[in-house]
Amino acid sequence: MRAITLFAATLAMSISTAAQAGGSHGGGHGAATGQPGQADAVSRTINVVMHDNYYEPESVSVSPGETVKFVVENRGRLVHEFNLGTPAMHEAHQKKVQMMVAHGVIQGGSINHERMNMDMGNGHSMKHDDPNSVLLEPGESAEVIWTFPDDVSLEFACNVPGHYQAGMYGEVTSE
Amino acid sequence: MIRFSLLAGLFALIVPPLALAGEYDLTVDRVKIDTGEFVKEGIGYNGASPGPVLRFREGEEVTINVTNNLDEMTSIHWHGLILPFTQDGVPGISFPGIPAGKTFTYRFPVVQSGTYWFHSHSGFQEPDGAFGAIVIEPEAREPFRYDREYVVQLTDKHPHSGDRIMRNLKTSADYYNRQQQTVGEFFSDISEQGFMTTLRDRLAWGDMRMMKADVEDVQGFVGMINGKGPEQNWTGLFEPGERVRLRFINSSAMTYFDVRIPGLDMTVVQADGNNVQPVTVEEFRIGVAETYDVIVRPRDAQAYTIFAESMGRSGYARATLAPESGMQAPVPALREPARLTMADMGGSHVMSHGDGANMADIDHSGMEGMDHGNMAAMGHGEMNHGEMNHGDMAMMNGNARDPFYAPGSGLTPTAASGGKFLSYADLRAQQPLYEDREPTREVELRLTGNMERYSWSINGVKYEDADPIRLRYGERVRFKFVNETMMTHPMHLHGMWSILDVGADQWNPVKHTINVQPGTTVYMETEVDAAGQWAFHCHLSYHAAAGMFRKVIVEGGPESMSSALDSVNATAGGDL
Repeated sequence: MRAITLFAATLAMSISTAAQAGGSHGGGHGAATGQPGQADAVSRTINVVMHDNYYEPESVSVSPGETVKFVVENRGRLVHEFNLGTPAMHEAHQKKVQMMVAHGVIQGGSINHERMNMDMGNGHSMKHDDPNSVLLEPGESAEVIWTFPDDVSLEFACNVPGHYQAGMYGEVTSE
Repeated sequence: MIRFSLLAGLFALIVPPLALAGEYDLTVDRVKIDTGEFVKEGIGYNGASPGPVLRFREGEEVTINVTNNLDEMTSIHWHGLILPFTQDGVPGISFPGIPAGKTFTYRFPVVQSGTYWFHSHSGFQEPDGAFGAIVIEPEAREPFRYDREYVVQLTDKHPHSGDRIMRNLKTSADYYNRQQQTVGEFFSDISEQGFMTTLRDRLAWGDMRMMKADVEDVQGFVGMINGKGPEQNWTGLFEPGERVRLRFINSSAMTYFDVRIPGLDMTVVQADGNNVQPVTVEEFRIGVAETYDVIVRPRDAQAYTIFAESMGRSGYARATLAPESGMQAPVPALREPARLTMADMGGSHVMSHGDGANMADIDHSGMEGMDHGNMAAMGHGEMNHGEMNHGDMAMMNGNARDPFYAPGSGLTPTAASGGKFLSYADLRAQQPLYEDREPTREVELRLTGNMERYSWSINGVKYEDADPIRLRYGERVRFKFVNETMMTHPMHLHGMWSILDVGADQWNPVKHTINVQPGTTVYMETEVDAAGQWAFHCHLSYHAAAGMFRKVIVEGGPESMSSALDSVNATAGGDL
């Protein structure tokens, strides 16, 4: 049940972060990252397990234009993220996640959803609702359906502070 | 799901099922130590100081033959390793020591992983160069990734021998203090602060038998990294884009270092050999005997300077990371030395001021600041939405005060870059080592001393006059350190872990050495799970030797250990 609610939450989204981050780093990323996929277009399911602090597997290979369903499960004791993007997008996103930690939204092994929805002024909140990512507590799982472009060079990454830097990322490459 | 249990099964097959055993030989030798500024006779292992990096594997049974080629007793203590007390290497507590010309064989199982070090526990052999590094590879995969790794072992090499330094300190405690305040400073303080304030300030410091510049009591050293002085420039190579793990070990006799690598962020992944939740910083302070493992990712084909300034800014160590040997990057200038403030006197209970000097602003509530209440601001406890603003979050950005320093302390570090400086308050265990539980009792240890007589003690009593601290096997003891001196003390308990209270309960970091800053109270908890008797002391060499040292006896526990205790106490002599 938990997984289902969480999945629903991830669909209630704004794609602003991904779009802005892609755009602000010399362009071209937007085109290269792909887009949210449709369930009926899924050709393959890839399971990704989150540990403290690494993924299993640490690299994934996809066909040009392929739509993949990632089933992501957090088997660690800490909160982790699965976020598809370029290194530059991850770097930009890390500032937002840092703020979520600073404001107690992410507390080691748990997510405070009330704080996540708090009004930060200017119409912003700390909702983690981009279609290219999920944020999971220990024991949770969720799905991300993504249609990749023809030429892929992306990373899936955890942008919880320190985790990416410690090596919690994997590569997505074209087959 | 099926896919993953299969994968887990495959993984189990890769792990070797056989017990590992390794045999290692160390000789203890007279060596020459060349700092680039002077050459000094010292003590090393296998013909060099520092000695070799011992590489063990978790689960391995190690046998280490130590041959003493000196004409005096020696010993080796495996700093931070969990092992039977008879193998801990402290003469007079673990064993009698290793006589001149003899070989002693250590045998113990390696039950942990991470970065540690080893050193002599006899006389001043360690400040004279008798130390090396230990790297233990874990059984399971590490919770982080790197392409290559280097040990970065720091020391403070002094032109005088340890014996001579101790004699000089005993004769005149400020013998090596080159940064004493001058008459000129007195007058400039008067013009800035007014005559009475300045005079009161000086009178107060005189009462303390301390001087404001007592951040470091032994100056005049050359900072070294892996046996190289600043000009000799130890260099670690990398390919641009690689992730490099640096295993920092502070093997100094007396010196704290503030470490940074201009141009690179450092992600701290381990403290004292135990994994911590990664935290990215621009600078960190490493206390004597501590270790920190960081991951850096130099992306450009350029040289980067590893710069380690001493806390009192009287010296520095320097090394280089570069794509090719011979490359170097600029070496920053030393920053202005820190001056202790009245806040650093906050812990002192010896103050009595008939002259009416205004001590009211030395607020003892600052010490309670160490308690959990203050940790709430770290984003871990309750947080009132209404109060939340970005100013409250300053600690996260590295600007707010560090709760492990007295409020207003002159020692509170700030990053040269203006970025994040690591605090103890940032450390969280990556994985709790023990089940969290209430301590069974509290033991208060006041760190005490008289700087003028260079006497250092615990609860006002020197080691030679003190009764041992008695703990019971199976209890969980909460130690309360109250630093009543003006100096920072790195407190090291042998044989059992020191769980530092940062207000994170089960996520409190697990260490072997705990820094206690002047004017502060710091708590740590210890699961008393190792029978026998152990050393517990300040790791500043000359403070330990002066008496800031205790023997800890763990009563009860496995039968085999109590009989070992009897036989050790029947034979162990020695002075420490």
